[in-house]
Amino acid sequence: MWRSASSDERLDHFVVIGNPGSRRIELFQAALNELRLPAAQVVSYLDLLSGKEALPRSVRDGTVVRIESPGKDFEVERALIAAGADAADDDERFDRVSRRAAQDLSFERGRILYPRQWYLGYCATLRLIELQLAECPPPRPLPQWMNSPAEIALMFDKIACHQALGARGAPVAPSLGAVGSFDEIGERMKERNWRRVFVKLAYGSSASGVVAYQTDGRRHQATTTVETARQNGELRLYNSRRIRVYRDLREIAELIDALCRQRVHVEQWAPKAGFDNRTFDLRVVVIAGRACHTVARLSRSPMTNLHLLNERGDEGAVRERVGRAAWDAAMRNCELAMECFPGSLYAGIDLLFTPGHRRHVLIEVNAFGDLLPGVFWRGLETYAAELLAMENGLN
Amino acid sequence: MIYEHITNFAGKPVKDWEAQSGLQDPEGACYALRLSYEEAEEGRRWTDKFAAFLDDTSSNQVTGIVIGDWGLLSSAMDETSAPVVEALVAARDRLPKLRAIFFGDIIGEECEISWIRQSDISPLFTAYPQLEHFCVRGAEGLSLGSLKHSRLKSLIIQSGGLGANVVREVAAADLPELEHLEMWLGEENYGADATVADLAPILDGGLFPKLKYLGLRDSQIADQIARAVATAPVVERIRVLDLSLGTLTDEGAAALLDSPAIARLEKLDVHHHFCSEEMTAKLQSLGVDVDASEREKPDVYGDEVWRYVAVGE
Repeated sequence: MWRSASSDERLDHFVVIGNPGSRRIELFQAALNELRLPAAQVVSYLDLLSGKEALPRSVRDGTVVRIESPGKDFEVERALIAAGADAADDDERFDRVSRRAAQDLSFERGRILYPRQWYLGYCATLRLIELQLAECPPPRPLPQWMNSPAEIALMFDKIACHQALGARGAPVAPSLGAVGSFDEIGERMKERNWRRVFVKLAYGSSASGVVAYQTDGRRHQATTTVETARQNGELRLYNSRRIRVYRDLREIAELIDALCRQRVHVEQWAPKAGFDNRTFDLRVVVIAGRACHTVARLSRSPMTNLHLLNERGDEGAVRERVGRAAWDAAMRNCELAMECFPGSLYAGIDLLFTPGHRRHVLIEVNAFGDLLPGVFWRGLETYAAELLAMENGLN
Repeated sequence: MIYEHITNFAGKPVKDWEAQSGLQDPEGACYALRLSYEEAEEGRRWTDKFAAFLDDTSSNQVTGIVIGDWGLLSSAMDETSAPVVEALVAARDRLPKLRAIFFGDIIGEECEISWIRQSDISPLFTAYPQLEHFCVRGAEGLSLGSLKHSRLKSLIIQSGGLGANVVREVAAADLPELEHLEMWLGEENYGADATVADLAPILDGGLFPKLKYLGLRDSQIADQIARAVATAPVVERIRVLDLSLGTLTDEGAAALLDSPAIARLEKLDVHHHFCSEEMTAKLQSLGVDVDASEREKPDVYGDEVWRYVAVGE
């Protein structure tokens, strides 16, 4: 479980790495303000990546460092893809783009751009953050990380994260392991007698590049938010808000093969329990080893994580329906899952209950899954609860 | 889509039957026999679970059963319901009080409704002559045979696309006690190919003399059905007309409004419809109990307009 570096130390200096002006940073500053803590110095990803800014200039002994999401900013996305161009890859099968070509990419709404390379670039950036501090001349500053950079990298890799959770004994859906093509997925499903799987991009935010695929041997169906478009002989992938259903085997194969070229995590599609004439899953924010904030997300599609902010179920009613024993067991397993990340104060964990709430399955761990304004635990929103946990622990 | 298992059937609460808990209320509750995801993962089979249920000492007191997923979820193969029908037929003497069967309480997260592979279920009606309530979900491969039953009060067929063959079997059935007839007609994409003409024997009103409720639900041709039903003799006989879950628009609703017989019903249910606000208000002022909730908006892509039934797939 996460522990603060030294509990008698007063938290009086904060640095947040993120995209300046983003909602996440505003909310973090607001939480600091609410707790009468000094505003955080903001270090932008772009400045870090361009070398304009370096952490030793702002971080000192005892500084609390929060790493925020680099998402929702195309310039940052492009810079991370560029940063990933030079990163060594142990696996050469995936789509790559040169640093120069990455810098020339232009924005297209929803386009999925080189997620494997983006991830390599993001890992390089997380390492850079650590290295900049480690390489300071003595006396070297010792920051307090809210979440450790290395663990953020692990949370972002769905394959490695799934393995880590399983090894820890947390309930996860069985996975197909490394697969490189739609045909391979089909073969492995047949071997295991599976009819339904989720194919997800191994990297990227939870709702990006997800396909729910099912077959009974005769029919095939893929439900997804991914759209494809052919341009100059290249198949481009886009995330959309619209759910599409593909039934043509060739189209499905083309779509899934395109995702496979970015590396995918494939796991069994465990059936979800319903609530209020929808299907649902839970987002649970674990802070300092304890399951705190929960949100039930309702959906009419297999993709429950689409509308994180608009379709919330009445948490009390969901909890009552699930029943205390099943609910508590799920919370304990979220806490168990966080033991995989001893250097991280918080994360947002997604889980589902199977019909009849017989069992629960952890779906994924989101490093930046704590953005849930308006959701309270003991009167506190997530960011404030995290800060209080650092200061005093949660008891 | 259907998202939750049923909690009530034939006027009784539904409880899952599990070997550990057994039968606590064999007459007051309906017992559900489903192969859960967990059991399927352990390699268990529905027929074994059913055999264990029959060995429960009070199973001969059971009045209602619900058949859940029989292993569709866990099987990459195409499994029809034939072995389940066979097991139920073989158990006829051990379930002497059985009055109600729900065949296929399977939610979309377990198997799409149009992927549920049914079979010829006609042997069930012969095996259980005391049956009063019967519901089946999923229409692919479904056959009711020449349906003749002297006790059946309620017949429900839920599907995402009901084939004309099944509609014709119903329209030729001999069910003198039938009070509740409900068919989810669905979409052409999922096998719905019945026309209004196939419904004619039902709409003529003489077929089921005790009919009180007629549900022609979840239909893509809801407007055509509304027009045909509005002036059909059967409306004079029934108390409740249920055209819900379908794609009813102002066109079909206007026909209902123009019919004096509709205004004499106890209840008209059209919830999940595509009528305008004005038309919805007119329906609601019919003077009978009207459910016109869930007013849907069509999906528009360019110049294409799509209206979906509530349960397709």
